[in-house]
Parts: sequence; structure tokens; C-alpha cells
Amino acid sequence: MIADGIEDEEKWLSAASAGLQQNAFYMHRALDSNNLKDALKYSAQMLSELRTSRLSPHKYYVLYMRAFDELRKLEIFFYEETKRGCSIIELYELVQHAGNILPRLYLLCTAGSVYIKSKEAPAKDILKDLVEMCRGIQHPLRGLFLRSYLSQVSRDKLPDIGSEYEGDDDTVMDAVDFVLQNFTEMNKLWVRMRYQGPAREKDRREKERSELRDLVGKNLHVLSQIEGVDLDMYRDTVLPRVLEQVVNCKDELAQYYLMDCIIQVFPDEFHLQTLDVLLGAFPQLQPSVDIKTVLSSLMERLSNYAASSGEVLPQFLQVDAFSKLNNAIGKVIEAQADMPVLAVVTLYSSLLTFTLHVHPDRLDYADQVLGSCFNKLSGVGKLDDSQATKQIVALLSAPLDKYNNVMTALKLSNYPRVMECLDIETNKVMAKIIIQNIMKNSTYISNGDKVEALFGLIRGLIKDTDDAVCNEDDEEEFKEDQNAVARLIYMLHHDDPEEMFKIITIVQKHILAGGVKRLPFTVPPLVFTALKLIRALQNGDASKAEEAAAAATRKKIFQLLNQLIEALSNVPAPELALRLYLQCAEAANDSDLEPVACEFFTQAYILYEEEISDSREQVTALQLIIGTLQRMHVFGVENRDTLTHKATGYSAKLLKKPDQCRAVYSCSHLFWADDQDGVRDGERVLLCLKRALKIANAAQQMANATRGSGGSVILFIEILNKYVSSFTFVEYCTVRFSYENQGSIMTRCGSKFRYLYFFEKGNTQITVNTIQDLMELITTEMRSDNAATDPAAEAFFANTLRYIQFQKQKGGAVSEKYEPVKA
Amino acid sequence: MSTRRRTLLKVIVLGDSGVGKTSLMNQYVHKKFSQQYKATIGADFVTKELQIDDKLVTLQIWDTAGQERFQSLGVAFYRGADCCVLVYDVNVMKSFDSLDNWHDEFLKQANPPDPKAFPFILLGNKIDIDGGNSRVVSEKKARDWCASRGNIPYFETSAKENIRVDDAFLCIAKAALANEREQDM
Repeated sequence: MIADGIEDEEKWLSAASAGLQQNAFYMHRALDSNNLKDALKYSAQMLSELRTSRLSPHKYYVLYMRAFDELRKLEIFFYEETKRGCSIIELYELVQHAGNILPRLYLLCTAGSVYIKSKEAPAKDILKDLVEMCRGIQHPLRGLFLRSYLSQVSRDKLPDIGSEYEGDDDTVMDAVDFVLQNFTEMNKLWVRMRYQGPAREKDRREKERSELRDLVGKNLHVLSQIEGVDLDMYRDTVLPRVLEQVVNCKDELAQYYLMDCIIQVFPDEFHLQTLDVLLGAFPQLQPSVDIKTVLSSLMERLSNYAASSGEVLPQFLQVDAFSKLNNAIGKVIEAQADMPVLAVVTLYSSLLTFTLHVHPDRLDYADQVLGSCFNKLSGVGKLDDSQATKQIVALLSAPLDKYNNVMTALKLSNYPRVMECLDIETNKVMAKIIIQNIMKNSTYISNGDKVEALFGLIRGLIKDTDDAVCNEDDEEEFKEDQNAVARLIYMLHHDDPEEMFKIITIVQKHILAGGVKRLPFTVPPLVFTALKLIRALQNGDASKAEEAAAAATRKKIFQLLNQLIEALSNVPAPELALRLYLQCAEAANDSDLEPVACEFFTQAYILYEEEISDSREQVTALQLIIGTLQRMHVFGVENRDTLTHKATGYSAKLLKKPDQCRAVYSCSHLFWADDQDGVRDGERVLLCLKRALKIANAAQQMANATRGSGGSVILFIEILNKYVSSFTFVEYCTVRFSYENQGSIMTRCGSKFRYLYFFEKGNTQITVNTIQDLMELITTEMRSDNAATDPAAEAFFANTLRYIQFQKQKGGAVSEKYEPVKA
Repeated sequence: MSTRRRTLLKVIVLGDSGVGKTSLMNQYVHKKFSQQYKATIGADFVTKELQIDDKLVTLQIWDTAGQERFQSLGVAFYRGADCCVLVYDVNVMKSFDSLDNWHDEFLKQANPPDPKAFPFILLGNKIDIDGGNSRVVSEKKARDWCASRGNIPYFETSAKENIRVDDAFLCIAKAALANEREQDM
């Protein structure tokens, strides 16, 4: 029969349907002509089609439904017959003359339905008779459908409370007895099916059994819909009898499904009030039953119920639902020694969700659940079940999602212990979830102990592990992880400088112990956090004593900063360290701590001299050094001279002439501070600019030499333009020009306008003649025979001239200065 | 076909779990309402006799399981339906979003002779909750959906407060009757 397949089944179904249809046709004719005898004959023949053993449950159901629809017409006919004077008692006898048992019982149930409706006998007697008679069919599939038919036709005729069939003799107890009996019989048929037929068809049989499950479960739905089944009736009769059947049948499929049904069809308050009984059944189930899913769905239902209204919460407290569930889970785990870790964690995860919803104020409950979970986990060693670890992540995420505050989770003493059960990869996943939660809720971590605890939790992201393997993918992920840690560092905050300093010290301890690979990511945010604290210490109108304390703290922070940045030398990351030293130098400058600032500059210079060897990096580093140095005002003459001298020296030693040129003219700013009190050494400014001009000339000659006769005008103008720049003018140019190579032209404009700059700024060393000479030089070069035209350069030069014109016409002091310049 | 016999009309009630299918039916047939949620398993029907114009009809209303795992035998009972009632909860967007699926799946499985003309009716249930403040599906949105599906009649109901339940089922019965007559012709 296995080989017959679906096609044959279709054939059998159509054949059976055709037979059914044909007999139904004759039955209709008999009904239309009020011919009871023929009606019974053809309906019995029609029902004979249901005797087939060839159809799977799905197909059989299709056939059953056709018969079912036809039987409704017959039922109406029976009813009308009784109205026309036919005795229902006789009719009930008459249908039993059908030759075959299955059609006979379908007809009996149909007539029985009319019989109950007629109220000529107590409903309970007829129901009892029918449910007993149905024992005649012991074939599981046919028996289940027949009983399901009985259940359907009797549904609205049960002597329920308030029903028209209720009476002195007919009570709701009879209704419950009837349904329970039918349920018990159906479950027996269903379970027995498992043992019928050859062993090799076992899988197919289990699949078919599974399809039939709702026929059995339907009875529980009927019970739940009986009005008279109140809490007492449920607790004293319904639940014990249903559970008895469930436990005793010892069938995995039935137990799993029926427990699920009980939970789903009966109301929450019933479950709450009978938790002991319901939960008591779980340890008695077969070990193979998927208890975690069923129990989880119970806890989910109860959580939703608790969330539905505040009024129901006292019920939960009254029955101490949490303890009962907690105990039950403990017992189930104990009873099922081989329960997989996944199941254990799923159970605790559901219990945790339950308690978070029902008792959000009872952190001790949540901690207790985590503790139980940890005890179980610690017994099994390191986890290698990915689903189980995923479930632990869900478990640990639940308190975060509930409270939206990592601080609350940090109060749970067992939280870190459960987290320790995770393998390093999952620990990282969990750590990232924690950080995301902090970012999402903008939770500031404002206490040293909490920071310590938090960094303990997320140490998977903080610390190198021995087994860390590194490939391309990991590299990307590693960066992402460390950026998350960097963001986290910015979330640590306390208004009190002492506490904040403590926090910074703790973080420093953790990140310095975390291995060199992480330092480039973690050091900068901590440096900036510390610098922010230094700035905070400067603010406010502090008293003398406070100011002294603040100064002491600042010194400590600068020491810490020095250590932090020094740690980068192990990476090594000299460019980054240099930037950070310069940042610190500026902070020291703002704090008026000359020796400290000097120390940081010295560190930066050492790095520049010893560690930065790439010419591009040197250029960038030098720009930073010059820029920072220009902003420093804390230095006395001596320190300033030393540092400036060195910077100028570095500039002249850059590899490429253009870079040298730019760096040198930049150094000119070091001798001309914007503020009145600062250094203003016009002579040395001019020296720098002249030196830059010299380098530019040399560069041009070199270019001419290497590029053949005459050299190129582009390079020539490029070099000339290096002499020209003014901050305001660069802006002016930017508006007017948008060449693709604008950037490079801008730099080329460099020194020329620097002359104008210093000219305008009142540097007496820059004379009209200097400017005039320079302009003539450019003009000559541009008109020289072997110079190719460069529209960009020409336009720039034209603009420079226009700028000078503009300044001349503007009026005022500047205008007067420009007056002698011929442009 | 004899006209003296009463007409039996088959109505299928569909919709997501927890939208109130069983409650609507209980309110209509038994005038009862329970706040408690009880899942429905499989499918079964209740009957209600009513008079439409001067015709006595028996409405066979099939209640169904909204949860798929409690519908293990399939939907053979859709066959021969005269009307399909779709129910959603006006406070749950997902239950509204599922309507397309229920609608299309019904036509696919029931396979009526003229799917375009097959009568559907939409009920937006639980309008009583929180005085309508927790509502997430507007009446307009529901009516637009009905219009896009060939002008399906729409009722806003409350099984709990018995709001428009009888109206809705009368409309259902009439639609089913019209459909049945069409089939006979």
C-alpha cells in the first residue's frame, strides 16, 4: 500500500465520492417524496463509502465532509418526519436495521440528535447510549471520525447549564461525563493506531496520527465551551480526568499535543488556580515529550494574562505562581536526567520572561531564575550547542529589554555568572547587545563599581583570548566590535570629577590589559574622555581650596594620559600617538601647565624623529605639529624657540621640495601670533618666506632639468603661487573658481598671499616692493616664450590681482597700504 | 428541488487567533459572552434558525481555529460554503494584514464556481476596547480594503457589548441566501 502513492489515493477518493454522490442523489429523491424506507436505504449505502481503509486522514476527511453535508439534510428530514407523526423512538430503532455497522452508527447518531431534540427521553440517556454504541467501531480512523461526528451533532444538545436540555435528571455533570467518555475512547483509538500495522510504516503512521490529532483535541475544546464547567468542576472533575488519560496513555505524541490543548483551550484563571495539578503532570510524562515548548507556552499565556490587566495580578500573588512554576521546572529537569541544555535554558528563559512581566519589581525572582539556570549550566561544562547558546542570549537579553537599563541588569548577581557560561564568540555577541542597549537608551554609567562590573561582563570585547584566530572577516568584525567599545567609553559619565577620574582609571586598567590590538580603538576615546574631564575641572568659579584640588587632579590625569598614549608604542601606532600627544599638549596649554605641555611636545617630537619614516606621514605629522604649536601660548621664549626651531628644521628636511616649501612657509606663522601679546617677529617671518622662495626656485630648476628645455609653466606658476596666500583670499577664490584641481591650486597659491597676509597684518618687513617684485616675477615667467598656457594658473593670478584691486578700492587703512602696489 | 424544505446555509468564519470568532458566534447564537480566551481546535458549527423575508433558513455557522497548529486535518469543511465571514481585531494590525491571506486561501481551497461573485463579509471586532482608544485600524482603512475586494459589506462589531452582531449575521444570512439561490439557478 505504501507504493500506491498519492495518485491512487486521488482515484480512490473520486471513486468513493462518486459512489457517495450517486446514493445521495437517490436519497434526495426519497427525501423529496417522503419515502423513509428508501431514504434509509440510500443513506446507508451512501455511508458505506466511509468504510474504506484506503484513504489517508486528509482524504478521508474530504469524503467525511461530503457525507456530513448530506446527513444534515437527512437530519432535517428525520425532524420533519417526527412532526408529521412518525415516532422518534421508532425511528431510532428503525435506523439500526442498516446492515452494516458503520452506516448504522452514523444513522443512529443522526437520529439520536433528533431524538434528544424531541425531548422524549432524557438527553443523558441518549448520549450515553450513543457513546456506548460507538464502541462498535474499533478501527482507529473510522472510529475517530464516527466519534467526531457524534461530538459534532451533540454539541448543541448537551445538558449544559442554561441549555434547554438541562433538567432534573440531566445536569451539566452528564454533559461533562459524556464528552469525557468520548474523549477517552477517542484517545485510546488514536494511541492504539500507533501499534497497528507493520513496523516499517511507523513514520507514515505517526504522520497520519498527527493529522488526526484535532479530532481528539476537539473534545477538550467542547469541554471548555460548556458553560457549566466552572472552576470547581474543572478542578475536581475535568482536569484530573483529562490528565489521567494523558499521563496513562504513555504516548509521546498524545501527551505533547494534549498538554498543549489543555493550556490553550481552558482559560488562564483556571490554570492559575490549578497550577499544582497541571504542573504535577509534567514530570510524569514520557521523557521524550517536548516539555519545554509546552511549559513555555503556558508561561507565555500567563505572562500575557498578567499584562492584560492589573486586576488579575493579585491572583498570581495569591497562588504564588512564580514559586510553583520554578519548582515544577526544577522537578521536570530532575526527572528528565537527559534533558538537553537547550530545553533547560528555554524553560528558564520562559520563566524569566514570566517573572519580568508579572513581577517586574521582584529582581530577586529574576536573579533566582538566573541562578538556577547557572547551576544547571555549570554542571555541563562549556557549551557547544549553538541553539542553546542562542537561547542563553535570549535569556540574558530579557532583563535588558524589560528594564531598558543596563544598570538594573547589573544588580542581578547571577547575570555575570550565566554570561560566563558562554563561549567567547557568544560572549561577544551578548556584549554587543549590552552596548547596543546602553546606546539605544542613552544610559550613562556613572559609578566606578558599575563600570567595573560592566567591563567584567563585556570582557569578550575588551580582552584578547588565547585562541583568537584572525582572518579577513574577523578583521572587519573586530573593528566593528572595538568601535562599539569606543562608543561605550563615551557613555561613562559622572559629574563629580573624583568619581569620574576613578571611572577613567578603571577603564584604563581594563583597556591596557586588553592586548595591543585593541589599543588604537580604545585609547583615543579614553584620552578624549580624560581631556573632557580636564576641561570640566577648569570651569566654574571654584574656591581656592577647590582650585588646588582640581589642579592636583589635573596633574594626575595628565600623568595617566601620558601612560595611556605611551602604551600605543607597543602597537605601534606612532601617527595616532603623535596626534594624541598634541591634543594633550593643547589641553596642558589651556591649563597653563608649561612643563606638561612641553613634555607632550617632546614626546611628539621623539615620535616624529624616531618612528615616523614615511614621507607622506611626515608631511601630515609636521602640519599637525606646526598647527598645534602655533596655537600654543603657554611657552616661554626658551621653550618656544627650541620647539619652533626644531619644527622649522624638520620642514627643511622633508623629502620633496614642494613639501619642504609648504612646510617652511607654514612655519612663518610660528613667528607671528594673531593676538597682540604673542610673538611678532617680522624678520623671521620674512626669513621663512625667503627660504620658502629659495626652495621653490630650486624645485623649479629641478623640474626644468628633469622635464627638458624651458621647463613647464604649470610647475613654474605652481611654485610661484606657493608664495601667495591669505586666508580670506582663499575663500574669495573658492567662490569664484571650481576647477577640478582646485585643491592643488589652492596650495600653490600658498606663499604669495602669505606675503599679502603679513602685509595686511602689519608686518613691516613685508614692503610694497616685496609684493611688487613677486608680482613682476610671476608676470615675466608667465609671458616667457617657452611657457605653455595654463588657464587655471592664469585665472588664479588674475584673481590675485583683482583681489589687490579690490583691497585698494575698499578704502580705509588696508586700502592705503595697498595704494602703492601696481596691479 | 423542493421549496417546502428549509434552506440550510453554510457560513465559514475565518480570521487570526484571538480576534473573537468564537465570541461573535456565541453572542449571536447563545447571547453569551466570556472575557476569557479559549483557543478553538479544529472546526465545528452551531446552527441558528432565522426568518428572512418569509423564508425560514437554518444558518450553519462554522467556527474555525485561528491557530494553524489546531487545524491538522485541513479545510475540507470549506466545501459548499455559501458565505465567508472574515474577522479581524481593530486593535491588532497584524490581524488586519492577514485578511488578504485568509480571503485568498479561502477561495483557493473552497474553490467556488464563481470566485469573483462569492460573498464575503468583513467584521472589525473589539471596537469596545479602551473606548476605541487602542484602535489601530481605522474604519476608512477597512472600508478601502473592502472596496478593493469587490465591495465587501463591512460591520464594526463588539461581541462583548453585542454591538451590531445581529445586523452583521442578518447581512451574512442574506448574502448566503442570495448565493445559494444563484447556485440553484
